[in-house]
Amino acid sequence: MSIFEYNGSALVAMVGKNCFAIASDRRLGVNLQTVATDFQRIFKIHDKLYIGLSGLATDAQTMYQRLVFRHKLYQLREERDMKPQTFASLVSALLYEKRFGPYFCQPVIAGLGDDDVPFICTMDCLGAKELAKDFVVSGTASESLYGACESMYKPNMESEELFETISQALLSSVDRDCLSGWGGHVLLVTPTEVQERTLKGRMD
Amino acid sequence: MAIRGNWMYENNGGTCVAIAGADYCVIAADTRLSVGYSIYTRDYSKICKLADKCVMASSGFQGDLKALQKNLAAKHLIYQHQHNKQMSCPAMAQLLSNTLYYKRFFPYYTFNILGGLDSDGKGCVFTYDAVGSYERVGYSAHGTGAGLIIPVLDNQLKSPSPLLLPAKDAVTPLSEMEAVDLVKDVFASATERDIYTGDKVEILVINASGIRQELMELRKD
Repeated sequence: MSIFEYNGSALVAMVGKNCFAIASDRRLGVNLQTVATDFQRIFKIHDKLYIGLSGLATDAQTMYQRLVFRHKLYQLREERDMKPQTFASLVSALLYEKRFGPYFCQPVIAGLGDDDVPFICTMDCLGAKELAKDFVVSGTASESLYGACESMYKPNMESEELFETISQALLSSVDRDCLSGWGGHVLLVTPTEVQERTLKGRMD
Repeated sequence: MAIRGNWMYENNGGTCVAIAGADYCVIAADTRLSVGYSIYTRDYSKICKLADKCVMASSGFQGDLKALQKNLAAKHLIYQHQHNKQMSCPAMAQLLSNTLYYKRFFPYYTFNILGGLDSDGKGCVFTYDAVGSYERVGYSAHGTGAGLIIPVLDNQLKSPSPLLLPAKDAVTPLSEMEAVDLVKDVFASATERDIYTGDKVEILVINASGIRQELMELRKD
């Protein structure tokens, strides 16, 4: 089994009309044994910027700690929050620093940039950015997620419809992956509010 | 026999899907034949009509598929001579399983789906692995695009998924038109993300009035 499949994960982010949604599964496993059913993979950087980290859980937590540290320093120096595009470049640089001994995690970054334009991107474990206009996926269930999102996604969805779509895509995909599941965690971010919801799916 | 590399088999790519309805069955497969990163032809049928109400679609190694189709056609002809009737879909399903297991130690590298109408006129789909293990299900997909398609079918078919327990009656409550539209949608999505799926999709619909064929264009890249 590959190192990326050691803990199991599923992450997806989608762009809507002036909003975005980011969702993850909740399982933490050690190979085939489930160890936690409430594991958090999506972290807040600031009110309008979230990062989800799939792959090896310990590397995901370490990456998050390093990123929060860097962002806090940035806030002290610049007296403002980081733009999502800038943050994505920061994540990419931090990952590429470890080019010959990488962090085994694949981030999914989602945020609202200038004028509240939604921004999403994903990268591989070495920091190669992939900017997408519609959706990005990551984790052991990524193939299923690609299929489900490709079929279910429409551009310019309002927040309620976006929430429904991302939830259905996540739940259908993790149901076909034994390493991810145990429900879902969905964050829907609009310029005015953040809605955080937990989904109940197949608990296996 | 020393096995050096994988010279005995080749994966020609492609995806096939089947959905069983109350009184119809939809089977579809794309028409691209590939080897490695090249396309051999954009116009290759992976579907074969085995009997009046029984159609097989397969992905995998097309050389083995041609041999398997020939084998089954011959056995079906003998059956017709001996019993003076066409084989029913469940009977053909068992025959296919036995034919595949016969070559258990040098398998046909084909991932098959059999679709048709059973003796009550209800849609049936049988799904196989390469050595003949089979199960009657409400829907199935095989091939390079299957991982992209199956979660969508789980979600949209509103029929009991094979993952549910206790096992429930398999057929979907969707109408024939809705099922065909769903098949077209999933192939379009699979074509976007799978390099081996594309060109055209051949869709066969089997119902009481016979077999109807439809071809839909897909992205050619």
